[in-house]
Amino acid sequence: MISRGQRLTIWSLVWLSIITLSLPTVVVLGASFTAGNMIAFPPEGLSLRWYEKIALARDLRQAFFRSLIVAGVCTLVSIPVGTLAGLALSRFRLRFAGVIQVYLLLPFTIPLIGSGIGLMLVFGQWGVLGSLWPVGVACAVINLPFIVWSVSSSAVLLDPDLELAAQNCGAGRVQTFLYVTLPAVMPGVITGSLLMFILAMNEFLVSLLLTDARIVTLPVQIYNSIRSIITPDLAAVSVVFIVIALAAIWLLDRLVGLEIFLKSK
Amino acid sequence: MAAVRSEQPAVVVQGVDMDFGTGAMAVKGASFALEPGRFLTILGPSGSGKTTLLRMIAGFQAPTRGEILIGGRPADAVAPHRRSIGMVFQKLALFPHMTVNANVAFPLKMRRHDPRTIPARVARYLDLVRLGGYGNRRIHELSGGQQQRVAIARALVFEPDLLLLDEPLAALDRKLREEMQLEFRRIQKELGVTTINVTHDQREALVVSDEIIVMDHGEIQQHTSPVDMYRSPANPFVASFIGVSSFLEGLSSPRGLMVNGVDCAGVAAGAILPGMPARGAIRAEQTRIGAAAEACDTVLEGRITDTIFEGERLMYFVDLPALGTGVRIYHHDPAEHAPFEKGATVSTGWNARDLLIFPAKDR
Repeated sequence: MISRGQRLTIWSLVWLSIITLSLPTVVVLGASFTAGNMIAFPPEGLSLRWYEKIALARDLRQAFFRSLIVAGVCTLVSIPVGTLAGLALSRFRLRFAGVIQVYLLLPFTIPLIGSGIGLMLVFGQWGVLGSLWPVGVACAVINLPFIVWSVSSSAVLLDPDLELAAQNCGAGRVQTFLYVTLPAVMPGVITGSLLMFILAMNEFLVSLLLTDARIVTLPVQIYNSIRSIITPDLAAVSVVFIVIALAAIWLLDRLVGLEIFLKSK
Repeated sequence: MAAVRSEQPAVVVQGVDMDFGTGAMAVKGASFALEPGRFLTILGPSGSGKTTLLRMIAGFQAPTRGEILIGGRPADAVAPHRRSIGMVFQKLALFPHMTVNANVAFPLKMRRHDPRTIPARVARYLDLVRLGGYGNRRIHELSGGQQQRVAIARALVFEPDLLLLDEPLAALDRKLREEMQLEFRRIQKELGVTTINVTHDQREALVVSDEIIVMDHGEIQQHTSPVDMYRSPANPFVASFIGVSSFLEGLSSPRGLMVNGVDCAGVAAGAILPGMPARGAIRAEQTRIGAAAEACDTVLEGRITDTIFEGERLMYFVDLPALGTGVRIYHHDPAEHAPFEKGATVSTGWNARDLLIFPAKDR
């Protein structure tokens, strides 16, 4: 039995969390629809003029496509690396498994500014600064633990006999991986790669260090604009980010939710 | 058909040891041969090494010592996925993301059968396991027994020379398990495929097998037919593991076994000299009680200490003061429904051929 007082406490906590978590989103969403010239909440009147402005702004649009490329490169790099690392860590009894696990988590222990400067020095030495793909690779490196975790958590649920059964059916190593292991950990791979995509899309600090004026990504472009003048078009850009994240979550639910549905048990 | 295939045994296991380096060896000096078309069950308690032995035959593990020949060829000369061995796993290991059809077709696809012949073959084997029409179902849509049948179809569809069953019935409820035991037997007889089954269920071993191997502590205790295994256990362990036996400790005598100064009628079941410490084993259903006991070779006075009702029969725990020990007795009493009362004094007896006497050093 929950008493009246307990119910009141629980619901106040629930609403407090809902409000604090969604407040920034709501404010930005409101501010983006303002008809005025100042970023403000509540908005002064309703209009889509700032959306029109960002749609027409060439620099924003280009920065947006650059961010998409960065996120795409990051995802493409992290899928094979993260999947294989996640599988290896959970499926095989490796020597130094503990050490490897810590090593793969290192990106989390170093402040982004530290890894960003490190990567900047390395890429500078290689002479690849100034192109977009190193930014994607950098995002993959610093966020790798996310996809490794998500794949391992799928892989530990895997019945080890499944792979033996595939061998027994006549499947070689590669076939076993393609037809049995990979489909079984697919939920983890999908979750991890969408996460990697969103994180790379939003990555600011490392992008700031690795990009120059010709190849700024969207978060850096927004930062540059804030430094000069804050107008409601930035709120509109933020809403675009939120929509992309929501789309990814929807996709995740469709794909992985479906996968779980297909699983036995 | 299997008998024509070759003159040599289907499986030969020769002095096989498996040492995981964790203290006691998992399998010690296992040797046996299995003729084509036979159904062998390896029976033993958990930790007896039976599953390890099966996995070595399947090629998932290499023996520490010894040799395994399948169809006359060393098993480890062939990669696991190239061996002609079908296997049903304990947890079935069906592919959850595939349909029933795709699961059963998988071995054919991997073994590069002509794609045009696959659907017909899959349908034929689904019919064999009585799952015709279930091909498009997802695995999770099937009941436990149906999943079992899919696993059997998948193991048999490529017509392997050898079928291995790794306790696949352990997870089923009793009724379904008994149904599937008969099903295994039917399918095995229909196809004539050489089969090795692993289980800890003595009833299953007796029901399905042509021959049984009993294992304990990594060693083969006995290898014989179900009837022989039951009637002539090689040692007290086998006698206790299959069926319900009571044990009497004493010294071997010319008549049988001297227990607490009472000379009991029995027969020697091993190399044993009079006067040696010995252990007698007697089955619960071969020990008589009441009027039926009067005509036996050995008759003693007993006192009933407990009664267990098991439906089709009763089990009596009977204390024998003359021997200083007790025995368990199965008693079928369908007509009279007049059980002996707890605490009653009853005649208890057995015939000489039913008390098997082993040297005491045998486990």
